[in-house]
Amino acid sequence: MAGKVKMLIDSLIEQRSQGNEAIASTTRTKLLLKGVNTTIFTDDSDDDPAAINVILQVANEMGISLEV
Amino acid sequence: MSVKIAKSQNSVINSAVDEIRATLGDTNPALVLFFASSTYEPGEISKAMKKVFSSSTVIGCSTAGEIISGHMLTNSVVAMALDADTISSVHAGIIPLESPANADTTLKSLSGAVGSTPIALDPAKYVGLILFDGLSGAEESTMERIGDLTNIQVIGGSAGDDLAFSKTFVYLDGNAYTNTAVFAILEPKKGFDIIKTQSFCSLGKKLTPTKVDTATRKVIEFDGKPAAVAYAEAVGVPLSEAASRFMKNPVGLMAGDEPFVRSPQRIEGDAVYFYCQVREGLELEVLSSTNIISDTRILLEEKNRTAPVEAVINFNCILRTLQLREEGKESEYGKIFSDIPTIGFSTYGEEYIGHINQTATMLLLLK
Repeated sequence: MAGKVKMLIDSLIEQRSQGNEAIASTTRTKLLLKGVNTTIFTDDSDDDPAAINVILQVANEMGISLEV
Repeated sequence: MSVKIAKSQNSVINSAVDEIRATLGDTNPALVLFFASSTYEPGEISKAMKKVFSSSTVIGCSTAGEIISGHMLTNSVVAMALDADTISSVHAGIIPLESPANADTTLKSLSGAVGSTPIALDPAKYVGLILFDGLSGAEESTMERIGDLTNIQVIGGSAGDDLAFSKTFVYLDGNAYTNTAVFAILEPKKGFDIIKTQSFCSLGKKLTPTKVDTATRKVIEFDGKPAAVAYAEAVGVPLSEAASRFMKNPVGLMAGDEPFVRSPQRIEGDAVYFYCQVREGLELEVLSSTNIISDTRILLEEKNRTAPVEAVINFNCILRTLQLREEGKESEYGKIFSDIPTIGFSTYGEEYIGHINQTATMLLLLK
């Protein structure tokens, strides 16, 4: 299976920014500084369990719940 | 009045504070910011500043050099008074840095004071100002936690101690603190903008940390090689000369085209220690320094053209100050800010979204 990491990242950013592009951009930078480079994941990226866990942990820190 | 600035190079605290008070005049500012050399006894200068601005929120820190419109100074105190025409509201508190979770308590309390919650604070209306104990090593974790809690932009710097690297202090309302951050939620009346500037271009080479000790800001390996060896290869010098290139060739974590600079501090064995944390697996760009003066001037002029600037609060990395000093350009840098009321200081780290190095972060208050 592929694309789950990108889907989770997109969902996290959407929930956090509510469509505000400035907040979306800042959130991407916050993720980068936490160790998640949002630009390397695509719809074809493998569903790497380690990467999924990192996204879920970051979402939890931000008070955001994601559906896996 | 709106914004007034003052400086003193008098080494006697009460005389320096009296000079500041006299220059700022008989005003009743909402907020007084001050940045003071570590040559001033921390508890005494904080108390003295609050005494003469008793009805204002008074925030400050110790420095590794001070900045005021037209000048880069040492062994001085600089201050800015902002009244209700510039700052509609200010709510300030301290964050003890023993645990990042302490940021939760402070942010909830300060947000509550403005009738909001941290996450609901309007990022177009409010901006966060933060000053850290510059030797706490807690900037990354605290900035991350604040970023988790709120969408407002947070900008600031890490206190210095004139390169003694012994003890740095932050000040709030007459008190002096270590292992603490002072955090304020400001509501600029006529809007604000932010400058984050670092004068580097890419060398076209990359280093990926493959073994790190994040807590101690130590990189053990880049790309599977001993970190110091890999860094020396990347900048094209023998290992024995690698440390001499740190100031001109730091590395950058790239957010799009924007580097978040990570500055190497020292080599120990084969490891490289940094001035801020570096994450395992995140590719870093090797950078090469360019012209601080022209980069900063052009950026400030552009911002001022787009939206006229009433005041600048400048958090300028000590490594930039040392580079300017080495190049004999401190006076030229100070003059960039001659026409806009500005204060700032040479920091042990800059804050904007996260913790960064070799950067100037500036809060611009608009007219």
